[in-house]
Amino acid sequence: MRLRRTLAFSRRALLQFRHDRRTLAFVLIMPLLMILIFGYTFGGDVKNVSVEIVNQDAGIQEGSSPLLPQGLHLGEMVIKNLDEQALSLHENTNVTNARQTVHDGHAWAAVIFPANFTQEFLSSISSQQGTIPAKIEIYLDASNPTISAEVIKAVTQSIQATLKEITADLNKTQVEIPITIDPSYEYGGSETRFIDYFAPGVISFAIMMVTTMITIILFVNERRNGTLQRLLVSPASESEIVVGYALAFAVIGMCQSIVVLVAAILLFNITIVGDILLALIVILLLAFGHQGLGILLSAGAKNEMQAVQFIPLIIFPSILLAGLFWPIESIPSYLQPLSYIIPLRYGIDAERSIMLRGWGIGEIWVDILVLILFALLTLSASVVLLKKKN
Amino acid sequence: MKVSLLLQKQVSCPTCKTVITCTGSPGEIVKVTCPSCGLLGKVSFEPTFDALTKIVEIQHLTKTFGKFTAVDDLDLTIYKGEIYGLLGPNGSGKTTIIRMLCDLLKPTSGSTKIFGHTLPCTSNKKHIGYMPQDTAIYLDNTVHENLAFFGSIYGMTREQLEAKEQEMLKFVNLQDWRSSLVSTLSGGMKHRLSLACALIHEPSLVFLDEPTVGVDPELRAAFWGYFGSMTQKGITVIITTHYMDEADHCSRVGLLRQGRLIADGRPSDLKKRTGTTSLEGAFLFLAGRKKP
Repeated sequence: MRLRRTLAFSRRALLQFRHDRRTLAFVLIMPLLMILIFGYTFGGDVKNVSVEIVNQDAGIQEGSSPLLPQGLHLGEMVIKNLDEQALSLHENTNVTNARQTVHDGHAWAAVIFPANFTQEFLSSISSQQGTIPAKIEIYLDASNPTISAEVIKAVTQSIQATLKEITADLNKTQVEIPITIDPSYEYGGSETRFIDYFAPGVISFAIMMVTTMITIILFVNERRNGTLQRLLVSPASESEIVVGYALAFAVIGMCQSIVVLVAAILLFNITIVGDILLALIVILLLAFGHQGLGILLSAGAKNEMQAVQFIPLIIFPSILLAGLFWPIESIPSYLQPLSYIIPLRYGIDAERSIMLRGWGIGEIWVDILVLILFALLTLSASVVLLKKKN
Repeated sequence: MKVSLLLQKQVSCPTCKTVITCTGSPGEIVKVTCPSCGLLGKVSFEPTFDALTKIVEIQHLTKTFGKFTAVDDLDLTIYKGEIYGLLGPNGSGKTTIIRMLCDLLKPTSGSTKIFGHTLPCTSNKKHIGYMPQDTAIYLDNTVHENLAFFGSIYGMTREQLEAKEQEMLKFVNLQDWRSSLVSTLSGGMKHRLSLACALIHEPSLVFLDEPTVGVDPELRAAFWGYFGSMTQKGITVIITTHYMDEADHCSRVGLLRQGRLIADGRPSDLKKRTGTTSLEGAFLFLAGRKKP
């Protein structure tokens, strides 16, 4: 293998990208768009769920209870503690009307506090047994489970916060919430957002997509235009062709990653706690492996049209099985083993471990090893494929 | 059997300066009539040792695709400085032969020696030029980038490339298009560039697969003129075509039909043998389709 010839291949491919502005734009803007779209729209947190609030709670007046001489309007307190980011509250006085709004699809839920809500709460904490606990009625449109879960979560959190306030008032009595949760963070923290989790994934995914697709199309064209025949007649060896292209894709992959990383840092202020250099090495390995895969797949396509048909074949397993959006744990357990054969899984895992946990080679060596093996396998298979004659 | 080998020589008419291409065997003196002024003259061909150097030796070469025999038991020897034309209708096996000679296809049986080395042989590769039937150049690169790329994969240095590129650009008349993207060029220009890419590294054996398909008559004449000048430098050219009229420019032609070589010789000899006035007539006669 001669360096000069190998570099001639890289040089030509990179010059081609320079002239083909559209493809260059696709290569750089596609991952950028992904991070923008997902960063802004797919924040992970549900926001502004419209909820009807009917507060009929009469409360207890000042001086009417020995426990709380200053009086209590529990319904009001719970409403005040509701997460205003998550829920968009709309006060309603009529229960039937509120339910009708949910029925008509104008609100996701109606949260109803009955008239004797505070009363029942007080009597259930003061008497030992036999009393009915206070009840909040939530009338739900649960056709979207994510949203209904969010409503219930918001109400539950609000109740907890309210109880904490009241117990502070009830300090003199023996009422205490017996269990508190005290989270401490090994990796990430309460500030870690979905975008922090998503950014390492989207970089890996973009590299995989672009490298595979562009390689398939480049090699389909090489075959169809006859340039590949010319290369095979020349003294250039098959490995020089493959390595030459690999170097070109390494450069492209680096540019892509840097664009995405800079965008993610500037726009979303994402956390990167680990070694950026190691993150870039993982990107390179991903690019090499998928370039080999692209050359292999190109043999199965006669023209660009057929090459495009490979896209869903590559995208869907990667999106669904590699843990790009959802953790692998959310895949049905009998499908989880499938994720082990998706190389992107190891790339995403490695990138997340580096960027979010700050892990080094000692912790992610398995991912790195799998990616190296994948790259060696596909690249050497593509050399063999190019050597094959009819 | 007499070696049927032809050399080409260009002479200019002493009176009207018309350039005449004459053909003859080494050592032969041929009579020439100037086509424009009718002056009679003699042109002598020097006997050359080179001319008898075997460049390509094909023995019992056969290629089958399933039940279909594309090339059937081909025996052929091609000498240095020849323009050998493989002539035949579409599907007669011309391209399959070229692809086997270029080591792009493995023969089913038989063997080929190029420069005395049996194929497959990698050491030959840098002396071989190949122009495939498809345009086979990079459309999203410029003319210069294509020439530089193909030159550098043949190991040419920057200095060698610079000099040679100018020469090739001049030859294919693309000097003004050096920095143009190939995709913006016309079909004929792409074809010219493709030829230049096959010749940039100064090969001593050139395979040209249908180089004149879709090329306008003026350019075709220019191509053939250049091929003639190449042979004078001792370059061997093997060319396929199905334009019978063009094959008259070849020093020797092989007529192919359904994968078999049905005749092989100088165009003039083939015409004489079959009593026809054109190679097309000779082909039809030999193919048994038509009496002369």
